[in-house]
Amino acid sequence: MKATCWMGRNTVEVDDVPDPKILNERDAIVRVTSTAICGSDLHLVDGYVPTMKRGDIMGHEFMGEVVETGKGVSNLNEGDRVVVPFPISCGACWACENELFSLCENSNPNARLAEKLFGFPTAGIFGYSHLTGGFAGGQAEYVRVPFADVGPIRIENGISDESVLFLSDILPTGYMGAEFCEIKGGEVIAIWGAGPVGQFAAASAKLLGAERVILIDRFAYRLRIAQENLDIETLNYEDVDSVPETLKELTGGRGPDACIDAVGLESHYHGPAYAYDRVKQALRQETERPFALREAIMSCRNGGVVSVIGVYGGLMDKFPIGAVMNRGLTIKSGQCHVQRYMKPLLDRILEGDIDPSFIITHRIPLTDAPRGYDLFKRKQDDCLKVVLKP
Amino acid sequence: MAVNVRVRDKDSLAVFLGWFSIGLGTAQLAAPRLLCKLVGANTDGRAPTVMRLLGARELTQGTGILARPRPTMWVWSRVAGDGLDLALLGLTAAKNRRLRTAVAIANVAAVAVPDVYESRFLSRRRGPVRGAMLVRKAVTINLQQSEVEQAWAAAAELRRKVEENGASVSFGEAPGGRGTEVNVEFVHDPPAGDLGAVALKLAGKDLATQLADDLRRFKQHTETGQVLRSDATPDGHLLAEHLKQRAARPLEEAVR
Repeated sequence: MKATCWMGRNTVEVDDVPDPKILNERDAIVRVTSTAICGSDLHLVDGYVPTMKRGDIMGHEFMGEVVETGKGVSNLNEGDRVVVPFPISCGACWACENELFSLCENSNPNARLAEKLFGFPTAGIFGYSHLTGGFAGGQAEYVRVPFADVGPIRIENGISDESVLFLSDILPTGYMGAEFCEIKGGEVIAIWGAGPVGQFAAASAKLLGAERVILIDRFAYRLRIAQENLDIETLNYEDVDSVPETLKELTGGRGPDACIDAVGLESHYHGPAYAYDRVKQALRQETERPFALREAIMSCRNGGVVSVIGVYGGLMDKFPIGAVMNRGLTIKSGQCHVQRYMKPLLDRILEGDIDPSFIITHRIPLTDAPRGYDLFKRKQDDCLKVVLKP
Repeated sequence: MAVNVRVRDKDSLAVFLGWFSIGLGTAQLAAPRLLCKLVGANTDGRAPTVMRLLGARELTQGTGILARPRPTMWVWSRVAGDGLDLALLGLTAAKNRRLRTAVAIANVAAVAVPDVYESRFLSRRRGPVRGAMLVRKAVTINLQQSEVEQAWAAAAELRRKVEENGASVSFGEAPGGRGTEVNVEFVHDPPAGDLGAVALKLAGKDLATQLADDLRRFKQHTETGQVLRSDATPDGHLLAEHLKQRAARPLEEAVR
């Protein structure tokens, strides 16, 4: 089969690889019908997430048709149309029982490696380095889905792939980021990053009852897409001297009630501090370039919530813990517990509350994946989201 | 209840100083002229021979510190060695007047600080020598204790390994209904102290690492009925396999 493979830093190729086989009883094989490139895939390609190996198949956002099931999978049949959540979760451990699916205790065969880096291991993830298990990803014609009796959600009516594909990761991720903000009605929420996750976090904050949502980015086209599709405000940070100052003045001197970092470890900044962190990161003296997170912390109102759904890999420098502690901020974070949100968000989509397909700007064949990565990375051709068709 | 996991006389600073001695001693024996040059001494005459003798001393001290359970005198001998080194470097400095000698003196003075600190720390130790270390590996399984004990009874290979190594297993209810804690304990007391244990540990073949892997697999099997394999790790959790991991793509042949 054809699959998108990581071949070293800044290199992805579409290769011919063997078809996947059932390795465990609770596996299924899915023929992929749609798959997408995620912002976190860029962190892998750019070489900021350790433990990638040449030849790894990429991709953790995908859906398709079940073509084979192991004998331990009784709830899926051949021909079922499914969306697969990116965390691999067993459904039986304490974390899964408490709906902390991305922290499943049984799905990461490289748990010991992850334990060394993070203290405790996290769940396995498709196509997302060996730290999360070394599972082949879904930017391929076929994919093996472990614990297929737990994760995949069946799509039963004729709704299009594009409307439900993002249930696999970014819609639930954005939603969880908004849910962290403890919205009760009337809040002001600021969101760093108008990429797909930031857009969905903005949409979700509105759905949950936020009064105002301010989405921050530097690409005019991304802010334009948000304005056209969501009832929110936007802020281009390159147009202002200081984001925290601007947000303060935009909110009557209070600051946003909650701040969402939907950027992560490769953020940009406009000022001398950029050079400091960029050089340290390039020299591997820190893994993060955390401008968005620092700004989110400095901007948040006293006693507010900082919701971190942008991806971080390891260690950062100059973390403003003094602001967090003295101003009573709460940091909430995590890889999304996708399985928790798939059903309720599918219902929202079916009821017409949200149509996630508005973020798609490029639809290209799987064989063109390297071009898709390039467009997305360089923000060329107003690229916001690339969907690959095997 | 006192927590007595991993209690022993020797602490990690002593182990560090032991390895420091071995590293320095090896360099002094293998490349005495280079070391002479580095500290600003002459590279001909008697100096390289003296350097070799100092290297032999370091190796002896390092071995002593790593092998003995309470190496108080061995660490004090490092303090004495620091004094001798400073005296020799002082003579060298008076003779050659090189900046490198001053740097070397500063380095010896710097390492003398932890040497004195650790010697005094060990000198305060009283009572019977505690060289062995109680190691505990624990895992919590999200099931009733009776079910976990039943699974343990069925895990013949793991039980045999525990018995053969003189380890003991105990079960207990985790607080707050979090399932059952499985604790495996054994006394770690290798004949050559830290010197002997390191090779096994580097290869991931020491008992503690093996038991951690085994307990993880036991938990997986008991909770989910299978040990999950990925394309990169077709054998499941095994530390020894981590270094030679395959790429995350399907295998040509299904391995079993």
